Amino acid sequence: MADDSTATTDAPGDGSSEEIVPAEPTDERREAILADLRAGLGDAVLDTHIDPGRDVWARVSAESWAETAEVVRHRMGAKYFGFLSVIDWLPSPYGRSMDASVDTVLAVESGDSSGEDDEPEEMQHGVAGGESRFQVFARVASIGVPGEHWGITVKADVGESLSIATWTNTFAGADWHEREAWEMYGIEFVGHPGLRHIYLPGDFEGNPLRKDFPLIARMVKPWPGIVDVEALPEVPEDGPAGEADATAGDASSEDSP
Amino acid sequence: MGLGLVESGKMPKPLTKLLNTARSYSVWMYQWGLACCAIEMASAMGSPRYDIMRLGVIPLPASPRQSDLLVVSGTVTDKMAPAIRRLWEQMPDPKYVISMGSCANCGGPYWDSYSVTKGVDQIIPVDVYVPGCPPRPEALLEGVVLLQERIKHENPAERWTGEPIVVQ
Amino acid sequence: MTAVTDRQKLSYIASQAADARVNVELETEGMTLNIGPQHPATHGTLRIVAQLDGEQVIRAEPMAGYMHRGYEKLSEVRTYPQITTLVNRIDWLGSFANEVPFILAAEHLMEVEAPPRATWIRTLLFEMSRVAHMILFLGDMGVQLGAVTPVFFAFRDREFVLDQIEKATGGRFHPNFDRIGGLKDDLPKGWIESTKDSMQTVLTFCDQIEDLLLGSEIFQSRTRGIGVIPKDVAMQYGLSGANARGSGIDWDLRRDNPVGLAYPDLDWKVWTHPDGDSFSRFWVRLQETREAVKMIEQLCDGMPSGPIMAKVPRIIKVPAGEAYVATENPLGEMGYYLVSQGGLTPFRLKIRSASFNNVSIAPWLLRGVYVPDIITILGSLYFILGDIDR
Repeated sequence: MADDSTATTDAPGDGSSEEIVPAEPTDERREAILADLRAGLGDAVLDTHIDPGRDVWARVSAESWAETAEVVRHRMGAKYFGFLSVIDWLPSPYGRSMDASVDTVLAVESGDSSGEDDEPEEMQHGVAGGESRFQVFARVASIGVPGEHWGITVKADVGESLSIATWTNTFAGADWHEREAWEMYGIEFVGHPGLRHIYLPGDFEGNPLRKDFPLIARMVKPWPGIVDVEALPEVPEDGPAGEADATAGDASSEDSP
Repeated sequence: MGLGLVESGKMPKPLTKLLNTARSYSVWMYQWGLACCAIEMASAMGSPRYDIMRLGVIPLPASPRQSDLLVVSGTVTDKMAPAIRRLWEQMPDPKYVISMGSCANCGGPYWDSYSVTKGVDQIIPVDVYVPGCPPRPEALLEGVVLLQERIKHENPAERWTGEPIVVQ
Repeated sequence: MTAVTDRQKLSYIASQAADARVNVELETEGMTLNIGPQHPATHGTLRIVAQLDGEQVIRAEPMAGYMHRGYEKLSEVRTYPQITTLVNRIDWLGSFANEVPFILAAEHLMEVEAPPRATWIRTLLFEMSRVAHMILFLGDMGVQLGAVTPVFFAFRDREFVLDQIEKATGGRFHPNFDRIGGLKDDLPKGWIESTKDSMQTVLTFCDQIEDLLLGSEIFQSRTRGIGVIPKDVAMQYGLSGANARGSGIDWDLRRDNPVGLAYPDLDWKVWTHPDGDSFSRFWVRLQETREAVKMIEQLCDGMPSGPIMAKVPRIIKVPAGEAYVATENPLGEMGYYLVSQGGLTPFRLKIRSASFNNVSIAPWLLRGVYVPDIITILGSLYFILGDIDR
């Protein structure tokens, strides 16, 4: 069960792994973790992904988000709460216009085709797939026994309603993380004891980490990044030191009243 | 200074010079440490290697209301800006401001951030800008020396507005 | 639920009793105390709003966000090499340590591995930034309790460590020395010897602090049994670093998940303390500083030779994928969840900073304590504002 799911979702990172290990590398320990999660949640586990020897992901349905917390904590023993946050999978509508001119030079050099920012790109989800624009993801870990440390990242799609159950009933530490996610993405966590601003002033408008939130400073005046490496003004070979000193002296004498 | 002599601008020149020299070597510095630069400022104040007090600057006053110099060191965010403004208003005249570090000067590496004020000079007037990210403690000392130069040569009447302290 | 020790039970009962007593005998009008946003005891710009009943805190709420600079958004419009400059400044005291997990995450997605010498130098500088960080904590903790001398010692001795970091990286504060695939430069000549000398200074400093503070009766009475965090609560809030180890959680990413760093080759020990109070957090950090010095000495002695840079393309593009890499930073678990879609910039960079979790426990922890203890407890939790607000 866990085997086929890894095979199907491995596509993005697959290309390079073949040079190291010819066969599909397996990670029994992490597959056991996923099997445990499936046993606890049943069909609610929609998709999984294993990065052999490193990490494991699981995507669960939005309805079972709260239950997932219970399962990972009480059944699987992942009592350590790492973090909780949101990803906005919308391709940035501002494309490369958000970039400094120096980056655009880089982009052309490297043959990055995303220079044409007019056509909207397709939404492309990361590991363990996804369906909606916003995904919440959280990381929990089992710690405390030396040598037995493991962590898992669980994701869930947030549908059109932009609301999902809170984790604060299971992990008290999720409180601030959910406030942050609410502020940055506008995702409502149902049952959270007090969703209010944590970072931004109360009158701040918008959700800054959404991909369609523009960084105004970049829009008004693009960063002239290349200025920093502008060539020094040319100085004749004969008397560079004298001239440089003279100008420096002038400047300082102007400054002092 | 009493009797409105300084404010009137009619102070005799030698007296002005004496007053300015005295003022420049007894600067009470209120440290508004915000970010990384705060640590370098603390090094300048606390570390025996830099020792800002030898320049006649006295750090750690009890309150902004008894300080002459405000050192804003670090990133000023839009959320913090009103507090800085209010603190600056509480300081008695004549007051001076040193903006320490790129963030306080112009936003620094966060020039395009949605939450950072692009320079403390948007909310309060600044006398000396100390560049660097963060500036070394020596750079702050240099800034203090420049400020002292400025104090020595200024016309106190221009500074000494004698406006009341505004506190909301 | 893990077992709660008798000590915790007693302190809980005592605080309940104190509550009742205050309510009956000294009933006062409720009062709200505002500390900050600029207060020497808050390490920057944390603001704490506490509702008091007499001298006792009914509810305290740290107000973060005065240092929110938007790293996560900004890193979406910066190229990978530019981001190291930015992330340096998250936890500004342990700058080099901030770069490492980000670089490791990018390297993991690019399937690049830094050569052994680069890994060792990374580990070495990582531990040196820990030492510089912890020296300031050890001195600063005294200030929270009214002892001013240790902090001057700290600023004095910290300079020797910073000098070494500066000699190697060119940056005293924000080295920006790490590159995807290795390091910017090799170590300068004679650096190893002078580093070993400066580490002796650090050891002397640790001994001095132990003499000055640890044995002091005032210090003990102000910190022992104050701000007790039980193991189970610490896990729920995701406390990491010395805060977790001070609560008896035997967990250190350097030992348990040493991705891409040289820790498995070293001989060292993870220190824990079962009490979970302010004192134990201080004690664990003191031991960790010594342990870091031990590691630095081993790293200096066993430094392998070889190149310091792997082969990487001139223009860094990270293949599509996701990776979470965390290291044991001076403040605790610092992790980067990097989502790339193959471009020049990350698609999403979630920064899991240690202090955010470490301070999120404050409302729970500060309930029922007395006003002077707020400062001690926050001091012992040890946070950097940039690391909370990001």
